[in-house]
Amino acid sequence: MKHLASGLALAIALSTPALAQEAETRVIGVSIPAATHGWAGGMNYFAQTAVERLEATYPQLDFVLATASDPAKQVNDIEDMVATRKIDALVVLPFESEPLTGPVQNVKASGAWVTVVDRGLAVEGIEDLYVAGDNPGFGRVAGEYFAKALPEGGKIVVLRGIPTTIDNERVEGFQKALEGTNVEILGMEHGNWNRDDSFTVMQDFLSKYPQIDAVWASDDDMAVGVLGAIEAAGREDVKFVLGGAGMKEMVKRVMDGDAMIPADVTYPPAMIATAIEVTAAGLVSGAPVSGQFIIGSVLITPENAANFHYPDSPF
Amino acid sequence: MTDTTKAPIRLSMSVIGPVLGLLALIVAGALLNPNFLGWDNIVNVLARSAFIGIIAVGMTFVITAGGLDLSVGSMAAFIAGLMILVMNSALPALGVGIPVVLLGMAVALAGGLLAGLLNGLIITRLGIEAFIVTLGSMGIYRSLVTWLADGGTLSLDFSLRSFYQPVYYSGILGISWPILVFALVVVLGEIVMRATAFGRHCAAIGSNDQVAKYSSVRVARVRLMTYAGLGLLVGVATIMYVPRLGSASAATGVLWELEAIAAVIIGGTVLKGGFGRVWGTVIGVLILSLISNILNLTDFVSPYLNGAIQGAIIILAVVLQRESKAGT
Amino acid sequence: MGHDLAPVLELRQVSRSFGPIEVLHGVDIALQPGRVHALIGENGAGKSTMMKIMAGYQPPSSGQVALDGKPIAFASIGEAEARGISLIHQEFNLAEQLTVEENIFLGRELHRGPFLDKPAMRARVRELLAALDCRVPPERRVAQLSNSDKQMVEIAKALLRDTRVLIMDEPTAVLTRAETAVLLRQVRALRAAGTAVLFTSHKLDEVAEIADDLTIMRDGAVVWTGLAAGMDEHGMATAMVGREMSDLFPPKDSTPGEIALEVTGLNVPGHARDIGLTLRRGEVLGVAGLIGSGRTETFEALCGLRPGSGRVRLFGREVRINHPWQAQALGMCYLTEDRKTRGLLLQKGMRENLTLQALAKFDRGLIDTRAEDRALDQAIADFDIRGHRGALVGNLSGGNQQKLLFAKTLLADPEIIIIDEPTRGIDIGTKQQMYGFIRRLAAQGRAIVVISSEMQEVIGLADRVLVMRHGRITGELAGSDATEEAIVRLAMGVAVSAPQQESAT
Repeated sequence: MKHLASGLALAIALSTPALAQEAETRVIGVSIPAATHGWAGGMNYFAQTAVERLEATYPQLDFVLATASDPAKQVNDIEDMVATRKIDALVVLPFESEPLTGPVQNVKASGAWVTVVDRGLAVEGIEDLYVAGDNPGFGRVAGEYFAKALPEGGKIVVLRGIPTTIDNERVEGFQKALEGTNVEILGMEHGNWNRDDSFTVMQDFLSKYPQIDAVWASDDDMAVGVLGAIEAAGREDVKFVLGGAGMKEMVKRVMDGDAMIPADVTYPPAMIATAIEVTAAGLVSGAPVSGQFIIGSVLITPENAANFHYPDSPF
Repeated sequence: MTDTTKAPIRLSMSVIGPVLGLLALIVAGALLNPNFLGWDNIVNVLARSAFIGIIAVGMTFVITAGGLDLSVGSMAAFIAGLMILVMNSALPALGVGIPVVLLGMAVALAGGLLAGLLNGLIITRLGIEAFIVTLGSMGIYRSLVTWLADGGTLSLDFSLRSFYQPVYYSGILGISWPILVFALVVVLGEIVMRATAFGRHCAAIGSNDQVAKYSSVRVARVRLMTYAGLGLLVGVATIMYVPRLGSASAATGVLWELEAIAAVIIGGTVLKGGFGRVWGTVIGVLILSLISNILNLTDFVSPYLNGAIQGAIIILAVVLQRESKAGT
Repeated sequence: MGHDLAPVLELRQVSRSFGPIEVLHGVDIALQPGRVHALIGENGAGKSTMMKIMAGYQPPSSGQVALDGKPIAFASIGEAEARGISLIHQEFNLAEQLTVEENIFLGRELHRGPFLDKPAMRARVRELLAALDCRVPPERRVAQLSNSDKQMVEIAKALLRDTRVLIMDEPTAVLTRAETAVLLRQVRALRAAGTAVLFTSHKLDEVAEIADDLTIMRDGAVVWTGLAAGMDEHGMATAMVGREMSDLFPPKDSTPGEIALEVTGLNVPGHARDIGLTLRRGEVLGVAGLIGSGRTETFEALCGLRPGSGRVRLFGREVRINHPWQAQALGMCYLTEDRKTRGLLLQKGMRENLTLQALAKFDRGLIDTRAEDRALDQAIADFDIRGHRGALVGNLSGGNQQKLLFAKTLLADPEIIIIDEPTRGIDIGTKQQMYGFIRRLAAQGRAIVVISSEMQEVIGLADRVLVMRHGRITGELAGSDATEEAIVRLAMGVAVSAPQQESAT
């Protein structure tokens, strides 16, 4: 129905040039990774709700939303958008930087507006707008929390995500924030932002180290696995677990004052909504929106947790 | 007559291969970390091996009968999701207690059996390659669980999870339920494979399905039963899995099918069918679990190389067997 | 031996051992260019080992292989082939899904630059096939060829290598009489062209027909060698078996009883139409006809092994059989002609094979392996199966495999037994045993069908003979009417004397 309406609008625009200015439909393509883990699921949810809301607000805008399960599929999606829908703007959250750089560059060359979200491309200066979370900041905020929560120092373990630039930046930020403190990182292993993997890794950390004061799970999905492993082992030495991203269940536990989850660090999946909204506004109003838009990571504490709790989001 | 001396050597070498691999890993682990042989670590490794292990026992029968099932990982995720949904929605009516857990278990077993039967029926009645059928159902179950979870994670109600949790964490005499169930499944599986007509028929069909047909074996029915049995065991594995973290998502059970198949092959079952042994599969599962356990317990190599080490050991384990098979 | 030509390939005092067991004891053989040499002996006499040593598949444990009078040690099969020695196995060594041309040039394709030179290859293949008088198109897939054409492709493959010595392991075992005639004509042509040919066969009439020289083996040693003309068939059989061969076929002494099987209007799509027959207890019914006449397919359909429709009555009761296990439950079993790919699990032991068909008998929740072992003891004793109990069935000789297949089927205790090619590829001693078993089963009151391409077998064994042609039964012969000539007429559709009911199709 939507397609029919836009097709009709296009037909009118072509047949009556005088009215073209007002009736012209502009198409925004949104290409994001599929919901394969919690954060991506939240991101999908926010992308969909943003698209629905904006289609209602701006009748002259049409959206194409595509989710891809791997980089190659994402490249195909983007090529199809250009070829068959003649998009005027692209909002893309690249699966991986390198493989997507060329195709996005082509979109740019076709004259469309390009908004890149979360992961930068391999070549600078392609995008008109860059919306991203602050990965070094994400690590830094977490590190600072550990320094404050363990003033006497302590032994901690770290669960890392899937080996990527994002993960590296976060861990570097984290380590930098801990420099000069007495907090000692006993070990770091990849839990791949996955509950089952982090459960296994944490079990082995618990076998390996007799004394662990706290855990940086670096992600709320991984925090779930870590908590399960600690509970199973019945270990009393671990004082708290710090996750990340702001999953609703975890924010709820912070809100409720759970001693094991005293805080969380945001890395909002809603950044995709910000990117889509800003792009739409720029396209409709012509107001200047190009540049960089970095969404800082904030520490969620029992005091401010209510502001970060989205009960309707799947994440 | 020329082969009278060959046969016994062949057998013993192919038996020794995987056992030797397992022993080498245990020795390596004990040398690298003193906690490796600790009770807690042993229990951890066995319990986490249980899911793949239970599934791999079923997979041993499927592969022995000349089939393959790529859908088990997705199937486990889907059944876990279904189980959580049913239990959560039955909670207001039944309340936290044994009935709701039994309901969940029944859903898991019935779901697994049905899913397995469906795979088996399409393969045997329509005569489509098992690889293609289960590749298809793999995609279907994976996307069904994503859909059920709305792209996110399905979580068991917190109070219910606390009630159900002992199924993963506690047990008898410090041995947790997953390990006990795994052991039971293995013992039964070994007996069925080794000493029943069904096991014999699986091997005959995998060895040469024409001969089986001409020998009046009910080939289609035996094949169907291997897939149904595997589905049922996926249900059993899911019953053990759900209480651990109380959640299911699109990321649940990813690549379990390949781990299960790898375990079966490492254990000495022939990939193209005709010969299978359940105890070998157990060794295969333990080898796979121990590799990642040892890599976690030591700082021996960069974690980036974990996958490479695992891959190398898998290939090595199979090469050892092949060489001993070809030897003489 | 006093031939005027020097031998091209010789074995001199060759022995061969596998582990502690010596299977060849100092044998001599000499192949002359332009002569056909037949090698005969019972299964397990050492013929295959001898041929493999000649073709470089195995080295001798002691003794010499001599090529053109000079001792030689082949490093590989490839070296032997390069020297002009080719071995054609009983089981064809062809890639079924490739074409005739691709098979013939497999591994030695002609190139023009980086590309295959297809026109040149095709021309060469046509030339080779023409020389063999074989009218198969080079682009035909091997899977679609008849057995005799496959045999020709194998020979063409060997000829491409400028073969001076062609060794053939039972080339006629799977061929019909007509196909055999074609093959023998080619062998004569090769002989005329100066090739030395060695072949083995269990069909002594062929040997008498074509061989110039003859070597007879028994128990790993040569027991007789000389000009083929110096030995008649009876003498050959006696030398092979090592005892005087009495009558090959047992007396037909059973008396037909009640009707066991009654078939009317059986149709097998694509293979047979309107088949009707009756079979009584205590009777041996022979089924003759050319390969491809629908014999095997008819009886496979009867036993639920392939789709078919028609009325079937077993012991007076109308039955519907869609699966082989249903047939077995009703007391009817089919023994396949193809023991290697349909009859036995070659990778398994004797025990698993023996009990596979009647496993329910041993199923007491768990399989009673002791009862299985007793059954194997019994089968070994009853059927004189020789071979190590722990050996894989694939390593047994053809005759022992056939006996095991027989024992396996009989374990299911069928009342009606359909035996397809009971003696294909087995030696004369074992054949005689098999005939004895079959006749004894009839004497026990079982009803038996024997399908065979060997006319003497059908005549010697059966009480009545049905002849099939183009998917129909063209006639029934009994007693003294069952002669080779009569069968051939019915099988070929050339009814001369007796007016037959057969239609022109």
